[in-house]
Amino acid sequence: MAELTRRRFVGQATAVAGAVALSGSVAAKAAAAAGRSTRKAAAQEKTEISIYHIWGTPPGGTPAETPAPMTQVIDAFNAQSDTVTLTSSTPGTYYETLQKTQADIAAGNPPDLVSVPWAFLNYAVEGLGVKDLATVAGDQFADLQASMSDTAWPLVTKDDTVYGFPWGLSTPILYYNADLFEAAGVDPEEAFATWESFAAACPALQDALAGNPVLGLSYNKDWPAQTIIQSNGGRVLNDDGTFGFTSDEAKEAMQTIADLDKAGFYDRGTRDELRPSFVAGSTAVLQSSVASLNGLTNDVAFTLGTSTWPRFGDKPVIASTGGSFLGVFSDDAAKYPAVVEFLTFCASEEGYSLWNQTGYVNISNHELERLPGQEPAYAQFEAGLIRETNWPSARGVEAGSTWDVYCERIWANDISVEEGVNQALQEITAIIGA
Amino acid sequence: MAVASPGQPALQEVQPTAIKRAWTGYRLTEGLTPYLLIAPLLILIAVFIYWPLIYSAYLSFYDWNFVRPDKTYVGWDNFTRLPDDPRFTRALRGTLIYTVTLVPLQVFLPLGLALLLWPIRKSRAQTRYRIMLFSPTIIAYSVAAVMWLWIFNPLQGILNKVLAEFGAERINWLSDRSTAIWAIIIVATWKTLGFHMLLYLAALESVPKDYIEAASLDGATHWQIMRSIRFPLITPTFFFVLVTTVISVNDDVFGAINVLTDGGPFDSTTNVIYYLYQQGFQFFQIGAASAVAVLMFAATSLLTWVQFRFVERHVHYG
Repeated sequence: MAELTRRRFVGQATAVAGAVALSGSVAAKAAAAAGRSTRKAAAQEKTEISIYHIWGTPPGGTPAETPAPMTQVIDAFNAQSDTVTLTSSTPGTYYETLQKTQADIAAGNPPDLVSVPWAFLNYAVEGLGVKDLATVAGDQFADLQASMSDTAWPLVTKDDTVYGFPWGLSTPILYYNADLFEAAGVDPEEAFATWESFAAACPALQDALAGNPVLGLSYNKDWPAQTIIQSNGGRVLNDDGTFGFTSDEAKEAMQTIADLDKAGFYDRGTRDELRPSFVAGSTAVLQSSVASLNGLTNDVAFTLGTSTWPRFGDKPVIASTGGSFLGVFSDDAAKYPAVVEFLTFCASEEGYSLWNQTGYVNISNHELERLPGQEPAYAQFEAGLIRETNWPSARGVEAGSTWDVYCERIWANDISVEEGVNQALQEITAIIGA
Repeated sequence: MAVASPGQPALQEVQPTAIKRAWTGYRLTEGLTPYLLIAPLLILIAVFIYWPLIYSAYLSFYDWNFVRPDKTYVGWDNFTRLPDDPRFTRALRGTLIYTVTLVPLQVFLPLGLALLLWPIRKSRAQTRYRIMLFSPTIIAYSVAAVMWLWIFNPLQGILNKVLAEFGAERINWLSDRSTAIWAIIIVATWKTLGFHMLLYLAALESVPKDYIEAASLDGATHWQIMRSIRFPLITPTFFFVLVTTVISVNDDVFGAINVLTDGGPFDSTTNVIYYLYQQGFQFFQIGAASAVAVLMFAATSLLTWVQFRFVERHVHYG
């Protein structure tokens, strides 16, 4: 047996390492070449496009036995298309989806379609370069437009250019434990008529809950705050771009929730706590998106009721939108016909019927059956929704997050309304003006 | 005498040159081979550590989001605006609280546990304890979060239920600014405790037994053996745990912040790492995030230098 000297060992190790590297490289090249040829063959038959979205599980619910509605839409599209294969990816929340989109754009490999929140339209246009839908759709743009409600298109329009396909339109509504209301002897219709009547009903509901808080406002607090402020005649951001959240109407609206908190009726829980508390029957009322209807209906063991927001006196409820549109990010114009084929399927009765199971408001022009519990959302939609606040400038997302923190602080009585809105104004001005 | 054939150089003329060449070749191979062997690793480190570091420093002078074609040079703006940003001030406060509380908790508490477990090292109970204490280290934060969310839930959580048995009022663990940061500290400690404890147990195991026997024969008490023999001999591990904890404590806590509170309520659980994440990946301000990264790198380097300068002199390397 040959003696293993240091030199021999080093030499052999180098030779082995070199051989491995070389063979790895050759194998990789061969695999890549094989992959290319396979893909090339497949590409001749079908165009591959990708979509990033948030609907991996039924909205607001746990994974169900049946696929989530968006998965059903994608599966049905793939089954019927002879020319396109759509692959879907669900990176997580809206933030995580946009992070992945941003990273992939930076890496030169943008996804073809992405679900973008309405509130991020400005950022999608200015920061991420979402494509003009008219350019993408070409001749078929008019058909796409005709398939969806006229009220939906302004939500994806900026400076007279349409930047996306309106898809998931939600609005915040109130879910309540109807059994608990009955046990407490509270008439829901009467309780949800005005904020005054709601506050009057809270003690009875709280007794039925053994002292627990009554109302939880979920998601980012700036979302329900927008509906509450608008319903009192105020605005978070005025149409001319000035800040409206310091107006008397806005302050009065914000005070309403702070007063409920002071009386112990408002649940300060985190967004991950509020929903489980409601589902477990520990709170009586939960504000959430209408898109949570399907998930909540599946999850609760009590009779689930839904309601529009209480009014401020005689003023009408003016809710905000929520949800997202489908934005095109592909730089490859050759893929646009495939993207349009998918969007056309989404707009078709077959596609939209599958999507309509979520609970989102039907913004297509198809007459589809409404889900039990969707009535408040349609009532708010028909009364006119205002687009979720699109904070201006490249730092608009940060400004929105700052306002969210102040809404949370004001409602939990960590700061007075007056102080809170003034400090928010100062901080947001510094951010947006920076 | 030189032997030469026609057309062939003499043997003694060839030999020195050939030997010299072979020797040079050998020296060259010997000299280069180690570098060739470590080259792949060096390239990886350069590409994935040093280049991002340099690029991050470069980006800190720009306003950019990684995607826009135009990068705007803003000079020192990303640095100078930080003191005026209330969110950054709150993040600094959080960073300080996490460092001051978690460094002792993650350095001394595992040491105490290791010392408690050391005497029962030969029993099965120690293995069970080790598994019990180490398992949180390998559980993903996303999984652990679900469990902790239920423990901390103010209305159905087990913690409040137990406290209620003793007549305590309901505590909003994660949504009250006075308790949320402590909830995060509890989770972060639970997560890292076991790993540090294992390091200490390994260090205690490596203390030569003859030192202990000699001291025992000389009549040293348990405490004297601990103070004068065991602890000095595990100081390299102690120093390692201290340095790595100071470097990574705010990084480690990020997972708990992200899954349990998102920095809230009212930014009370945020820290500089979470602020960096928000700037870069929620607000898409890569320049601002890079500026924070550069400052964090400088601060961490300084702290590490201070520890090596002033603490390492007390370390006994055997």
